[in-house]
Amino acid sequence: MGTFITKRLLYTILILLAASLLIFSLYAWTPGDFITGNIKLTPERKAELREIYGLNKPLLERYGIWMKHALHGDFGYSMAQQKPVFTLFNQYIWNSFLLAAVSTFFTWLIAVIIGVVAAYRQYSWFDTLVMVVIFAAMSLPSFFIGLFLIKILAVDWKWLPPGGMLTTGSNATGMAYAEEVVRHMALPVIVMTLLGIGSLTRYIRGNMIDVMKQDYIRTARAKGLKERQVLFTHALRNALLPAITLVGFELPALFGGSLIIEKIFNWPGIGQLYMQSFGLRDYPLLMGFTVLIAILTVIGTMLSDILYRVADPRVRLQ
Amino acid sequence: MKKSISTVSAILIAGSMLLAACAKNDNAAGPSQASGGASPSASASSSASASPAAGAEGLILASDLSKLPGTAQQRTDTIIVGLTDPSGAFTPYFHQSGYDGNVSSQLFTPLVSTDDKGLPIPALAESWDISPDNLTYTFHLRKDLKYSDGSPVSADDVAFTWTILYDKAYDGDAQVNTLGVKGGEAYKEGKADSIEGIKVIDPLTVSVTLEKPNASALIVLGSDVLSKAYYGKEYKPGQLDYIKNLHAKPVGTGPYKLEKFIPGQEVRFVANEYYYKGKPKTEHFIYKTSEGDTWQFIETGEIDFASFSATQENIDKLKSLGFVNILPYTPSTYGYLQVNLEHEALKDKKVRQAIAYGLDRQSIYVDANQGAGAVANIPSSPISWAYTEDGINPYKFDADKANALLDEAGWTKGSDGIRQKDGKPLSIHYLGSKSKNTDIFIAVAKENIEALGIKFEPEVFADFNSLVSKVEGGDYDLVSFSTPMLTDPADGLLQFVDGEIKGYDNPKFKELYDKGLATSDIEQRKAIYKETFQLLNDELPVIFTNYKKTVYAYNGRIQNLSVSPFNGIAPSLPDWSLK
Repeated sequence: MGTFITKRLLYTILILLAASLLIFSLYAWTPGDFITGNIKLTPERKAELREIYGLNKPLLERYGIWMKHALHGDFGYSMAQQKPVFTLFNQYIWNSFLLAAVSTFFTWLIAVIIGVVAAYRQYSWFDTLVMVVIFAAMSLPSFFIGLFLIKILAVDWKWLPPGGMLTTGSNATGMAYAEEVVRHMALPVIVMTLLGIGSLTRYIRGNMIDVMKQDYIRTARAKGLKERQVLFTHALRNALLPAITLVGFELPALFGGSLIIEKIFNWPGIGQLYMQSFGLRDYPLLMGFTVLIAILTVIGTMLSDILYRVADPRVRLQ
Repeated sequence: MKKSISTVSAILIAGSMLLAACAKNDNAAGPSQASGGASPSASASSSASASPAAGAEGLILASDLSKLPGTAQQRTDTIIVGLTDPSGAFTPYFHQSGYDGNVSSQLFTPLVSTDDKGLPIPALAESWDISPDNLTYTFHLRKDLKYSDGSPVSADDVAFTWTILYDKAYDGDAQVNTLGVKGGEAYKEGKADSIEGIKVIDPLTVSVTLEKPNASALIVLGSDVLSKAYYGKEYKPGQLDYIKNLHAKPVGTGPYKLEKFIPGQEVRFVANEYYYKGKPKTEHFIYKTSEGDTWQFIETGEIDFASFSATQENIDKLKSLGFVNILPYTPSTYGYLQVNLEHEALKDKKVRQAIAYGLDRQSIYVDANQGAGAVANIPSSPISWAYTEDGINPYKFDADKANALLDEAGWTKGSDGIRQKDGKPLSIHYLGSKSKNTDIFIAVAKENIEALGIKFEPEVFADFNSLVSKVEGGDYDLVSFSTPMLTDPADGLLQFVDGEIKGYDNPKFKELYDKGLATSDIEQRKAIYKETFQLLNDELPVIFTNYKKTVYAYNGRIQNLSVSPFNGIAPSLPDWSLK
């Protein structure tokens, strides 16, 4: 296992290096740069500013400069936001993480429960009904369901706030603050859970159905174990094994922010900031964020490989 | 959640470009007022701007204040205004986003402000003198001015502010360094320790000498003042990085002080007791970040003030809310179709005029837009003091005239119905940013232009930056643009002389442009600009298209609210009070 991890780490570094060069080039090749879009500047001033920012240098030189700083732990300074990229991450990523973590938790919790029950009672009215509802929820566009819920729950019935993370101007601290945030995140979490639940439920239901047909389940039942124990200890654990792969993908998603949800609910997350930076060609922020996500993706996959090994002794890592 | 990179990037590309267009394109006319650093604020009453030329109606009062949501009712000493997305860099001249400009316009007061017509009025400077040769400007500061930290404002601060804008490390978009202050270039190149043309005469008097007269200099120079003691403590020529650490902790002269900035959520202000006109009437003011739709926040009373496009639909919906006052407003910008003057066919004035006649601009910009616009024929907003319709050809939609002009220019219809000259067909490659208005334009323009026997090939860009770089590459015939907010009439003309409009080189125009800046006498300037506008209206180096119209909707409890066309809400904000 030790050699496996060392080897994987080496590959990881190579992959990250190649990825960063590719990402850097793609951003640099996208037409226009940070200066282009500012319609208040004269052509002369534009040239001057490109000189100041080093945007007129050749691509590889720019990449080299960026890499040198990145290796020293410096992701640079956002051009548009006028702040260090790390400061911005710190200000925005945790908000995104909060939404993603809570909705991922609910998504998995609900999906596992529904998936197991639906598999156990395959083709029952419950199974059919749940699948119809879940497919309906999954097929709705997020902006539609988001705006619809805002209209009903926030504007018409006034149960929940229409957006943001805090009541404007609020000075709440401690528990009162936590309560405020929970009220504000209710709507986006509902929407994100609704949208995410469908595919995961199908996945778990499918795996459960497969596992339930296995010999060891029959054996467990024959031993006289309680049905509950058969279902959750023997069947579910095995059914969840393939789901470990998904964990690897969840990691970057937890920190990546959600572009549409954040915009609709005015949530101060990283997704919105990233979108905006792309339009402005705020290179340091774009690079920093994309590389961060790349790192998380690589770590995520590695993590899921290791977890696999831990969860299933049959798997050998080489 | 995200399934794969490709889905994400698809959404991203589609979505982000929209934003790009908003952030850069619209921030001039954006959700609330002043864009950029050079936009002065403060100073007294400006009556609500109802511009006669644009045919706007006056203020519509709230019909039923009892409908005001509880959230808004409970606020007694706080006013909340929506603002798309301030980033937190609140030092004037140094921010990159127009929204930060909005924030800093509440934190700083300029030396010279402008009235509703764009004419200069005193603010921090009590008065000013302009030398007879129009080269030297002397500003006289008011006595006992103080920054929000209680320290005094002096002429040294003004000199310091102008000086750092000439520093070679300065990377903002302020206009001061384009004025040609005497000795400015030498300072930038490191050949001088100070700028020769800037002189501090006494603690309340400072003067600046230009190399060439420039009538817009008074307002450009008369902008916000940075405290030398605070912003200049660590200054060394060629080194401005330290100022980034001060962006989040501004010390200014505005009606409000920064209380707290919560990234992506709100900017909180508290009244500044040192404000030169006395402490503002409402203790707290908040800019709430509101990306996307603001309807839900106005409807639930979470914000008190927001702007909307002046479509009939929006106005009706706002009226039905009952608790908002509705104030019509024309931003000081103009929209135009930039024409590629390097393309053979479009070099000909007659072809450009034919397009102007042949496009049904009334349908595109006014009717299809439910009245939220007006047709433009000159490079000036109808609210400017220089605006005129005298001797201006309105280019009323007239396909016959357009056809006649094209015939005259030698473009004759071929057998396929497409006009050609020397065997080359006449076609127009149009570029536009992705938006509802572009969709309308393309639908109508395609019909209009093809009716003239011209091939029309539209291309829509979701990303504003890509659009601009395509234009810079010269691969287009027509492209839709809108100017940023214009204060001086010369601002709207600059693009015709500074090389932005490639291929337009008219000595007569250049002469008029210089003449317009050589005097500061308003009547003389009016006459010069009238001639300039007539010239451009005839030559059409760009095809003028439209003016936008917006409405502000605000909580009916707010008293004394007005919006200055050039400075937004900043001048009247200190007077706002809640009934």
